[in-house]
Amino acid sequence: MDALVAGAEAFIQVFRTAADVFVGFTTGIIPIVVVFLTAVNALVKFIGEERVEGFAKWASQEGALYMPVRYTLLPFVAVFMLTNPVCYTFGTFLPEKHKPAFYDSAVSFVHPITGIFPHANGGELFVWLGIAAGVEIVAPDMVTALAVRYLLAGLVVILIRGIVTDIIYNIMTSRRAGVE
Amino acid sequence: MQALIERIGRSVGGVVGTLFQAGRDAVDLCLKTIIPFMAFVTFVIGLILETGVGDAIANGIKGFASSLGGLMIVCIICAIPVLSPLLGPGAVIAQIVGVLIGTEIGRGNIDVSMALPALFAINPQVGCDFVPVGLALGEAEPETVTVGVPAVLTSRMITGPISVVVGYLFALGL
Repeated sequence: MDALVAGAEAFIQVFRTAADVFVGFTTGIIPIVVVFLTAVNALVKFIGEERVEGFAKWASQEGALYMPVRYTLLPFVAVFMLTNPVCYTFGTFLPEKHKPAFYDSAVSFVHPITGIFPHANGGELFVWLGIAAGVEIVAPDMVTALAVRYLLAGLVVILIRGIVTDIIYNIMTSRRAGVE
Repeated sequence: MQALIERIGRSVGGVVGTLFQAGRDAVDLCLKTIIPFMAFVTFVIGLILETGVGDAIANGIKGFASSLGGLMIVCIICAIPVLSPLLGPGAVIAQIVGVLIGTEIGRGNIDVSMALPALFAINPQVGCDFVPVGLALGEAEPETVTVGVPAVLTSRMITGPISVVVGYLFALGL
């Protein structure tokens, strides 16, 4: 009988702990995300689509000179303004041969951006939040610094991804052309 | 005068309307995607913390997640071109592994300095399932998609480990 009670106790304890964590998330994360989402949604609407598209046309020009713009600033603006998954439509403005690299670059940014701008990818917050929740327990004052570094490191990574994918795509297309 | 009043009324109405709609979208997203996923995630956390499962997983993860080399191995495995599209959808795998590692960081089993490289190590497969759709959204030609898919997947084998190193460097001095 005692064993049964202990078993039931252990069983229900899983859900009690889960519920405690849930309450913690609800009061800690939800309010700030809702307010932030509202502000950014409104900002995006006020800035308007035309202005964003004008910028996209400028930023997606060809040439090595525009590489840092094409694979850092452009994905950042795309993900920030249009959010996942609409952000990939910015590929429209790019020359055909840069489209795969831009996609690679943009899609790799949809998680690093969530540390500071959760609106950009609300459905996949827990890549960041999962790890941040742990850091919050051990070193609460470190979370914001970590979010900023995640964002900056993300920008470096997407630039590298854009460049590498460009190179690989070029090699693959020329090989294909050679075969045919 | 009347025209002025009308114009002020209209523009204020427009601003308030936009803000209200923004709020509605925000709450919508919260209710429909964030909270449901949160419920699922907290259940997983509850299981990890209260059952032996946690310790078993912890031992498995600790070996990989507490050193740069281990994270590198995780990253290379996730980036294998056959596996990466399978691991990608909805970032579910990355989110679960993120929660697992986060929980271990919270229990003190993994050092905080590993948090940033880990964020990149668990995620080299990001969007690998979505390449054709993403390219189609950018109005890419079918030939671009044919070459673009293997190009992105191959590129991840190289840029995945690089991203872990970048994460590690950015975490220095934290």
